[in-house]
Amino acid sequence: MHVPDGFLSPAITLPAYAVAAPLWALAARRHLGRDAADALPVVGALTALAFVVQTIAIPVPGGTSTHLVGVTLLAILYGPLLAFLCESLVLLLQALFFGAGGVTVLAVNALAMGLLGPLAGWAVHRLLRRRAGRAAAFLGAWVSMQVAAGAVALVLGLQHRVAPEYFPVPFAVSATALLAPSLAVTGLVEGLYTVLALALLRRADLRGLA
Amino acid sequence: MASPDPRRERLLLCGWLAAAFALSAVTDLRALGLAALAAAVAFRRGLPRALGRVARLVLPVTLAMSALSWAFLRLGAPVAPPLEPFLALAARTLLLAFLAFSVLARVNLLRALAPWPAATRLVVIALAQIHALRLLATESADGLRSRLPRRPGPLDVVRNASGITAALLVLAVRNAREVSDAMRSRGF
Repeated sequence: MHVPDGFLSPAITLPAYAVAAPLWALAARRHLGRDAADALPVVGALTALAFVVQTIAIPVPGGTSTHLVGVTLLAILYGPLLAFLCESLVLLLQALFFGAGGVTVLAVNALAMGLLGPLAGWAVHRLLRRRAGRAAAFLGAWVSMQVAAGAVALVLGLQHRVAPEYFPVPFAVSATALLAPSLAVTGLVEGLYTVLALALLRRADLRGLA
Repeated sequence: MASPDPRRERLLLCGWLAAAFALSAVTDLRALGLAALAAAVAFRRGLPRALGRVARLVLPVTLAMSALSWAFLRLGAPVAPPLEPFLALAARTLLLAFLAFSVLARVNLLRALAPWPAATRLVVIALAQIHALRLLATESADGLRSRLPRRPGPLDVVRNASGITAALLVLAVRNAREVSDAMRSRGF
């Protein structure tokens, strides 16, 4: 779902940085500002957890594979702002140390995959958790994946509309390429993973650990 | 052997960031070709390795996306759409990936981050934990494969991933507390 460097022009990436920067500052002040000795290791640990969960490949029919994202789980457990901070760090580490994604598109990827998706998933879970229980977690994770994929597709569609000679891929193609696997496979897998992981974490009563 | 100058590494990083944003605006194929040539000359040491990573990690997705989009547009139009924008998109993406791999192979990011101790600590903690948690996740995946007489299916992997996430979270939080105590005892 990552947008790689070169797919989006500065006309899109720079405003995205302008939107993401204050949110990063707010998240850092809220989660790293009080006591760095306590907060830094926890944020580092949750970032590492999100990173490792994203390396777990799920085989899907057809010989290909998808991977878990796991940020909705973090949003449900620790709130969407901390999930945004951790996913942004994951994307930065992937761009700088592992050559995935990219630095010019970091803010776009972070806003789509780290903020909008998990925020939507967290909101759905909050709305439905009393009535639906496990289904709320499943639905939250599924919605989170669709919102993130939809946001990325919208940004690519916007780039095509602003400058078709820069990004010649029409919105219909971007949306199909991103939403079809997300609707059919990735969302379901992420939903199932979130439900099972939450059930195990509740059984072990780990929510308050961090 | 003398260790590289951290200021030079920071300059290289800043230059790369500026070049990445500037190149992300280029649509002219000739300009992209010239930039690729300049990048290949500037980073000739380690060229095959960087090209190999580009070919492995970026080329398949870029080519598939460009080819699918071109075919989609071709189906709906009486004449074939121009190839140049697709070639420019692929060239730009590949060039930016090559630059990233080449620059990052020459920079010690932790040394470059030295003036910002909080950022350095955060990156060190995250990378160390990634290393530790990855070992555990790999061992768990190997364990799953050894327990099953067939290749693990999607449900097996999801079930195993949920279990390992609980274990990883416990380990991550415990490690975080240990690091936190160690940092406090060292005066942070």
